[in-house]
Amino acid sequence: MAVVVKLEPDFSEGSISYNPDGTLNRNETKSTLGPHSRIAAQAAFYAKVKYGARISVASMSGHVANTALQQAMQTCDAEVLHLYNDVLFAGADTLGTAETLKAGISKMEGKMDIVFSGHRASDGETGQTGPQIAWKLGFPFLGHVISYDVNLEKRTITVKRLLSLQGMPDVIEEVEAPLPVFIAIDPSYKHSFDTVSERLTSEKYQREAYERAKNYKDRLQVFNSEKLGVNRGLIGLAGSPTIVYDVQRVPKGKATRHAEVLDGSNPEHIRKAVARMREALSAMVTK
Amino acid sequence: MTQEYYRHLYVVIEQIDGKILPVSFEMLGEARRLFDDFNARYSSNEKVVAIILGHNIKEMSKELIAYGADVVVSVDHPEVKDIRNIIYTKIISQISTDKEIASKIEPSYASEFKKPRYMFFAADSIGRHLSSTVLVELDSGLASDINKLVIRDLEVTHQIKTAGKPVNFKKTLEMYRPDFSGFLWTTILCLDNRNNPVIERDYSPQACSIIAGAFKPISPDPKRIGVIVDYVPKIDEKDLRVKILSRKVIESEVDFESRRAVVGFGRGIKDAPEKNIKLVEEFAKHLDAEIGISLPISKNVYPASPSISSTYMIPARVIGTSGRKISPMLYVAFGISGASQHVTGMEDSEFVVAVNPDENSPIKDQCDIFIKGRMEDIIPLLLEELKQQQQVVQA
Repeated sequence: MAVVVKLEPDFSEGSISYNPDGTLNRNETKSTLGPHSRIAAQAAFYAKVKYGARISVASMSGHVANTALQQAMQTCDAEVLHLYNDVLFAGADTLGTAETLKAGISKMEGKMDIVFSGHRASDGETGQTGPQIAWKLGFPFLGHVISYDVNLEKRTITVKRLLSLQGMPDVIEEVEAPLPVFIAIDPSYKHSFDTVSERLTSEKYQREAYERAKNYKDRLQVFNSEKLGVNRGLIGLAGSPTIVYDVQRVPKGKATRHAEVLDGSNPEHIRKAVARMREALSAMVTK
Repeated sequence: MTQEYYRHLYVVIEQIDGKILPVSFEMLGEARRLFDDFNARYSSNEKVVAIILGHNIKEMSKELIAYGADVVVSVDHPEVKDIRNIIYTKIISQISTDKEIASKIEPSYASEFKKPRYMFFAADSIGRHLSSTVLVELDSGLASDINKLVIRDLEVTHQIKTAGKPVNFKKTLEMYRPDFSGFLWTTILCLDNRNNPVIERDYSPQACSIIAGAFKPISPDPKRIGVIVDYVPKIDEKDLRVKILSRKVIESEVDFESRRAVVGFGRGIKDAPEKNIKLVEEFAKHLDAEIGISLPISKNVYPASPSISSTYMIPARVIGTSGRKISPMLYVAFGISGASQHVTGMEDSEFVVAVNPDENSPIKDQCDIFIKGRMEDIIPLLLEELKQQQQVVQA
């Protein structure tokens, strides 16, 4: 199995660095395992405990990411770490990124049965990259997955997906798909280990993962574009149809009401505000 | 150049159990407005084409024309009754490249037609993934979560796209994407690689997914005339391998509809998230109000205990274009600056009170009472006063 993780800028204090023009300095900023990627890694760990899966982690980064890959290894007890690192990969939109990750996953040893990804990243958050990798791999894509189970004999997966649509109540959809499959894990994903033996296995793997992650570099394989054998026209800037043309402030909307401004430090004003609120609630307005 | 290969604006409609989702009418409305202008400025023969898939959906085509489509391509087939990514992707891609359909849309463009010029999807649980896979199949660019669109000729200079030289790109779709705060707009363009000697490529359609609630539908005109194309899809058994076993509606614990008051909070919680949310909780309890949030809060960037974050920092509570539209008798906004995407969600409230330390924040123009101050200072005062006034009534 493969887990695609996104290394995101670490927005915690002291870790972030800006360029003089105010943009993020990605080379100086430490990267961390994004929260959505962490959930994806946890979901993969479930398959390791439950079905004895072997896990590889795939990631892309402009510089050789360290702590984030270590965190990923620790979370899912991965055996192999893949890092795709090349100046030619840089500046890609989702289509160009998907091409690189597809090439990387195809290079992994053994047959991939399930590819896991996070829901969307917190720094770009289009939610497009997962389904685009899946389509390029020729795997069915199932998004918003909140739980899953694999039938090894039938080689199928059954997942529950949480769908939220405008003006409709949320729906949980149960879906069956053949392996191999690509699943994107919803932030509300949860699993539990039901038997004593599963719990013991889980603890054992966690201990092993912790030890192994100390020497994660032993398991790290770094690929550049040549080693991945990707077509240069399909990756990076050249393989990206879209560009960011401009960034601007959203203009202020038209005023729809004229506010009475009250001073919070004036008790008389507070009294007035509360009275107006109670008046609004008691008004015999039929809506 | 190669513009004649790419024509029309295709809008992918979403329907569930025979009901067209509101976002589809909104997309058609914006498509109509853009193309009334496009037809006047560039060419009157390019069309707004709605694509709809489902089973027993015959009646819906007329509705889509009333809402602004010039042409509806309808696929009525039991295998597409429910939305499944693979088969939907294949069929939408077939429709988007089919010359026979193109000849029914506009005969004069049919012989050279290759793909749509523009394409719209909804940025929701269905369209986000469907747009991604369709655009891989059509091998072009996709921008997500758009809330403003402009079509115009643009001179662009770009390191790769134009090898650093200015190039005029005709009929370019400017796609505006708000960032998570709602105050910054990024304009995304999907452009051909027109340069020398680096790789030349065409990238069409220029496609995007559109935020639900961002655009207004046009008022439907049942007399509008349009063309309906019934398309019989080529279905490959292997594309039907994903099976939907069951669908269960889940009740939301969040109830904005039956409460007379709603209390919302936003990034103003930042100095003490846990403490501030507890204050909001207490205040809401006294007013018997439901609690809502602004979009950034749902991204879990403010640290709080698991019980607080899993109760309040969740998408189901978001008020705004990417969440719910509310219309209570009283809405109280604590620490919400009033990004337009939030305002769209609360503007129908009867009476609005905002608490914010910054008198220049946009929420001031959208409320009836503006209390200047930080929520941590103001809520305790309001609570005390509320208790006193309620006591007076009881006595």
